[in-house]
Amino acid sequence: MNRRLPVPLVLTLTFLLLIVLSLIAVGLYVRARLAESVADTEQIRAARLLVGDAVRAQIDEETGVRGYAVARDPVLLEPYHRGRANLPRYLQRIRVVTTNLGLREAPPFVTDATKTNRRWLTRVAFPLLLIRKGGHVLELRGKVLVDRFRADMAAVDRALVQRQQAGDARAQRAIVLVYLLALAAVAAIVLAAALFAVQQYGLGVSLEQERAASKRQRRQSAKMRAAYEAEKRVVDTLQRAFAQRDLPELPGLRLSATYVPATEEAKVGGDWYDALPLTHDRVLLAIGDVTGHGFEAAVAMNKARQTLISCALIDPNPGSILQRANAQLVADESPIITAVTGLVDARTCSFWYAAAGHPAPVLLEPGHRARFLDVGSLPLGLAAGTAYLTHRIRSKPGAMLVLYTDGAIEHSRDVVAGESLLLETVESAGQTHDDPASAILDGIFERRHVSDDVAIITVRFLEAAAMPDASALRRSA
Amino acid sequence: MNQSNAIKTIRFSGELEIGRKKQIREALQYSNADRAVLVDLSEVTYADSIALTELLRFCVDAERAAIPVVLLVCTPQFARIVQYAGLARAFKTFEDRDAAIAYLLERLQA
Repeated sequence: MNRRLPVPLVLTLTFLLLIVLSLIAVGLYVRARLAESVADTEQIRAARLLVGDAVRAQIDEETGVRGYAVARDPVLLEPYHRGRANLPRYLQRIRVVTTNLGLREAPPFVTDATKTNRRWLTRVAFPLLLIRKGGHVLELRGKVLVDRFRADMAAVDRALVQRQQAGDARAQRAIVLVYLLALAAVAAIVLAAALFAVQQYGLGVSLEQERAASKRQRRQSAKMRAAYEAEKRVVDTLQRAFAQRDLPELPGLRLSATYVPATEEAKVGGDWYDALPLTHDRVLLAIGDVTGHGFEAAVAMNKARQTLISCALIDPNPGSILQRANAQLVADESPIITAVTGLVDARTCSFWYAAAGHPAPVLLEPGHRARFLDVGSLPLGLAAGTAYLTHRIRSKPGAMLVLYTDGAIEHSRDVVAGESLLLETVESAGQTHDDPASAILDGIFERRHVSDDVAIITVRFLEAAAMPDASALRRSA
Repeated sequence: MNQSNAIKTIRFSGELEIGRKKQIREALQYSNADRAVLVDLSEVTYADSIALTELLRFCVDAERAAIPVVLLVCTPQFARIVQYAGLARAFKTFEDRDAAIAYLLERLQA
């Protein structure tokens, strides 16, 4: 599973990485500075030893010459010769080292020392080696020149010492920088750890709150589910109680009906159908749908059914039924109701109907394609005084009428496609099935989910040969 | 006053269903300045019974207030719903906007 690291952790890790990289960079810088300082120190130490050697060589020369001048013993000239042999080499190496170290102030002193030694040789040493007596003046002059030589070397040594001190100071600063950075890194790490801990604590608190909220939501959902299930049980019970249990049996007519409640919680609604026999060959059909869902819709549906039946008993003309019912429902401020009422006459194969905002009935006649009947009046309960036209269809034996609620054609929300499918299934079911209502329902919802209530009622005009004995029916009734 | 400015247009699109009930109810309003209403449903493909009820109540109320209402309906799916819901018979419906506005202007001048 591809899981992303939490942002606080990423930020902390990035911060620590930056600290480590900074430490490495500073460490490399300090290492370079210290290596440079050590190298300088080595050269400075060598140069200072050379300066000491040069001073000693000059003193050896002077000691040898003065000893020889007093005793005239050639053995005493040995320091003079040694010093004279080594001193130029020492001075040359001092010049090279100080030049390499970049000590621009040192080489002039080395040059002056070289010249001073040369002057001491020509003006003091050589004359003292040649004359036998009276060298006192020369010795004094020689002392002045040797002092100058020593002063030059002392100046070179001071320059070297200063350079050494400067290098030591740089190294010291680098070391202090390391200390400071280490302290800063430790402080930053402590801060990052603290921030991370605070964030983790915050996340923990947030997670705990989310868990608590989720728990509350689950409890709430469970309550709502229980409330819904309780209401659905009541609605289902009401609908079962209100449902037409036994369809009437009339000679010349065969009725079938089905009702399927919505499976979706919000859509348990108020669809219904009724078939009320008026005479031995006439039956009143009604099918409808109360706007809205749930308990209120179920109650409103029952009220609408009673109102329609009451009105049918006054005048069975479908248009009149709807007109009277509409006046009553508007006065009662009922929910909006769509309905079709129809009067079926088995003897003449006639069908009188009126529609109130309801999908059109379907007529399937032998040798013809199924077709929709004309509809188009406003629903019930909307506007007082609405006129409902009664249409009359004269059909023939074998024909079948299908009344249904909108769930049968609005399942895909494309009513044109829904109506086409309904016509196809009516044609298919009308040919072969004894229970065409269930066959139509199965045909439509073979591969679909019944999301809304669906009620279907069909009536077929029977051929004379298929008619049951009317007198027998009356006897059984 | 320019008559066409007195025509309020209320436009909907897509599927009108119970989830949009509040939006539909808020949109279906007219003021004293509105002398006619064009409900543009040209891009509506479906309306459930709740949405149809809102639409029907609005049309009935407007006509009671002597404010002419016309519906612009273009998709065949919604035209069929409008037909069996009784809207097409109770109120004027048009497929063409110019024709709808011309009808309303004529009503206003009458």
